[in-house]
Order: sequence, then C-alpha cells, then structure tokens
Amino acid sequence: MKQDIEKLLEKYYAGESSLDEEKQLRDFFRGPSVPAHLESQAGPFRYYAETRAEQPSLTVTNQWTDRLGSEGRIRSLMTWSLRIAASVALLAGGFIGGLYYSNRFSDPVNSNETSSALAIKKVLEFDQSTQTSASERIQAVNQSYELPEANQDITQLLINTLNFDDNVNVRLAACQALTRLSDEAGVREALIQSLKIQTDPYLQIMLIETLVSIQEKRAIDEMQRLARNRQILEAVRLKAEEGLNRLTQTQNRSAS
Amino acid sequence: MAVPVVFVIEMDLQAFKQKVLPVQGRLFRVAKLFLRNREEAEDTLQEVLMKLWTKRQQLDTYQSVEALAVQMTRNLCLDKLKSHANRTTEDNADLTAVQAAGVSPYQQTELSDTASVLRRIIGELPEPQKLVLHLRDVEEYSFEEIEEVTGLTVNNIRVILSRARQRVRDSYLKTNDYEAGY
Repeated sequence: MKQDIEKLLEKYYAGESSLDEEKQLRDFFRGPSVPAHLESQAGPFRYYAETRAEQPSLTVTNQWTDRLGSEGRIRSLMTWSLRIAASVALLAGGFIGGLYYSNRFSDPVNSNETSSALAIKKVLEFDQSTQTSASERIQAVNQSYELPEANQDITQLLINTLNFDDNVNVRLAACQALTRLSDEAGVREALIQSLKIQTDPYLQIMLIETLVSIQEKRAIDEMQRLARNRQILEAVRLKAEEGLNRLTQTQNRSAS
Repeated sequence: MAVPVVFVIEMDLQAFKQKVLPVQGRLFRVAKLFLRNREEAEDTLQEVLMKLWTKRQQLDTYQSVEALAVQMTRNLCLDKLKSHANRTTEDNADLTAVQAAGVSPYQQTELSDTASVLRRIIGELPEPQKLVLHLRDVEEYSFEEIEEVTGLTVNNIRVILSRARQRVRDSYLKTNDYEAGY
C-alpha cells in the first residue's frame, strides 16, 4: 500500500495520474494511516479536499434564486407580447405565401388543359391522387376508353395507376383498361411486372386471367412462382395453376 | 401557436437554472482563488451570474456553459486584479497598508495554519499554473474540461500541472522546515 502511494505520488507530480488515482491520494492523506515520512506532503491534498467544500454564503445564492423567479416572470411577459406578435406575423405570412404558391402552381396546369384537353384532364386526376376520390379516378380510367387512339402518356399513367394507386378498385379498373391496350408497346411487360408486385388476391387473379387471355407466355415463370408460393391465398394459387395449364397447353398445341 | 412560445421562454429559464446555478460554488471558488477574498469573490460571482443571465438566450449555442462561466469568472478576476494593481501603483506607499487592511484579525491568527500557508503558496503561482492546478486538484476537472476552459492542449496542461504541483510541494515543505526551525 505504502509503495503504491509512493508510485502514485510520483505520477501525480509528473502530471500523469488519473482522476481516480488522485482521489485515492486525497483519501489516503485524509485517512488515519499516513506514515511519518509522508506526513509532510499531506498538507496540499487535505487543503484541496477542504477547499472543494467552500461555498458562497447562502444570502448570495438565495438572493439570486429569488431574483431569478421574479425577473423571469417580468422578462417573459415582455417577450410574451413580442413573441405573440411575431407568431401572428409568421402565421399571416404563411397564409399569404401559401395562397401565392398554390396560385402559381395551379395556373400552368390550367393553361395546359386548353391545349390538349382530354389527355391532361386525366393527368390532373392521376397527379393529385391524394386529393381525388377513388370514384373520380375510376371515372378517369374509364375515360381512357373514349380516346380515339392509344396515347403513350395515358398508357403509362394507367400502368402507374395499376401499380401504385392506393385503392384496389382503381387498380382493377386500370388493369381492365390496360387489357384493351395490350397491343401497345410495353403494356404486356408491364402486366407481367405488375404480377410480381401485386399482393392483392383480386388483382393477382385478374392479372392471371388477363395474361392468359392475351396468351402472354412470358408470364409462365411468374405464374409458376405464384403457384408454388405457400403464403399466397389458395384461390390465387389454383388460378395460377389453371393459367399455367392453359398457357402451356396452347404452347404445346401450337408446337404440335 | 402559444405552446412553442411558452416553451422557448421556459427553455431560457431552464437552461440558466440547470446549467448556471449548479456551478455557483465552483465559480465562487475560482474567483476566490484569484482574489483571495471572500466578499470580492462573492461580488464577482454576482457579476458573472448577471452577465450569464443577460445572455441566457444564447446559452444553448455554447458547447459547455460551465466552461464559459469559468472563463468569464477568470477574466473578470484578472481585470479586477489589474485595476487593483494600477490603483496601488498610483499610490505605491500604501501597498503594504492596503494589504494589511484586507486581513481581518481573525484571518491574521489564521495565517499560520496550513490552509492559509497553502492559500498563499497557490495564490503566488503564475496564472496558468494557478488555474490549472485549481481546476484539476480542487474541482477535479478532466484534462478535456481544462482544455475547454483554458484553450491549452492536453500535453501543455500536463506540463503546467506537473510544475504547479512540484512548486506547491517544494514551497510547502520549505515553509514547514522553516517553521520547524531548520
């Protein structure tokens, strides 16, 4: 123990002791078992420990805590009025900014509408799917039937709707609309792709039926996966199997 | 809208109450280290608290409010000591008289005891040594915390600390030997 202390003292004077070691030294020198030859060095350690206990007089600290209470209230009232004013201004600014912003951004859409009315009307519907109701979107999907000729933008929109619309019924409508457009470029691929993404059984079944009806043989792989997947609803698995059979039958028939 | 407003005010008050008031004792001791007088140290503490109170809205922007407070205390003390020194050089003759007047009879009887010997020894250390020794051995600061207050590198702090400790030891032993009649 004594040797430890002497080692610690060496480290201490070299400025290399840790806080723990220094605490050990202070505790040792304040304890009862300080050997005579170290006693002469005890003074500073005792002094440091005593000094740490020194506090300003209570009248000073209390005075401050009291003042803090009252001053805090007065100042906060001052800032209260200022800050309410600021927040009102901020709120008003927000409203004006919002109005300006929405005006600016709705204008170009409206002007586009005049140029290619029918098509952009639908863009509007799809773009703002968060603001439109499902029935409005279904109506928009159905309006695509009235288009005189297939429009690539609209097709792409229908594919997006099929894959990403929140509402199942809208997705189903988009799927139906796409069936009609199955000769368009990319539509068949999109339908196969969609079969991988969709998790809703209605849509899975409808997609299988669609792919079978358009004789899309590239969908065989995906249908096999569905037919084997145990986590999928049984009705869907049966449908996938049935679809598979029909697709492979026609394949065989055409081959023979 | 009203809720965040209240919250901001509360934050100021809270920051001050939680970060500044608990270190009052520490600031007082640092002031007393430099000024070696209880009343003056308390006055200095008041001034520092006042300054911190007026900038309480910015307290959140400081990495360590405590380090800031200790720095402010040290600077204020050094300013005071400088103006003291100026005053005393103006009337040089009164230098000893002023010092003697600062010592109460009670303190005079105390002068011989260990604590006042050490207070004098530490008080006579040059500035960086004095503060570094105090922060480490009295306030038990880590080297990183001392670095934050003094801006010195850790290596530098170790060297300064080592010198200060040896100097205190040597001076203290000398005084003791002297008193013991060697």
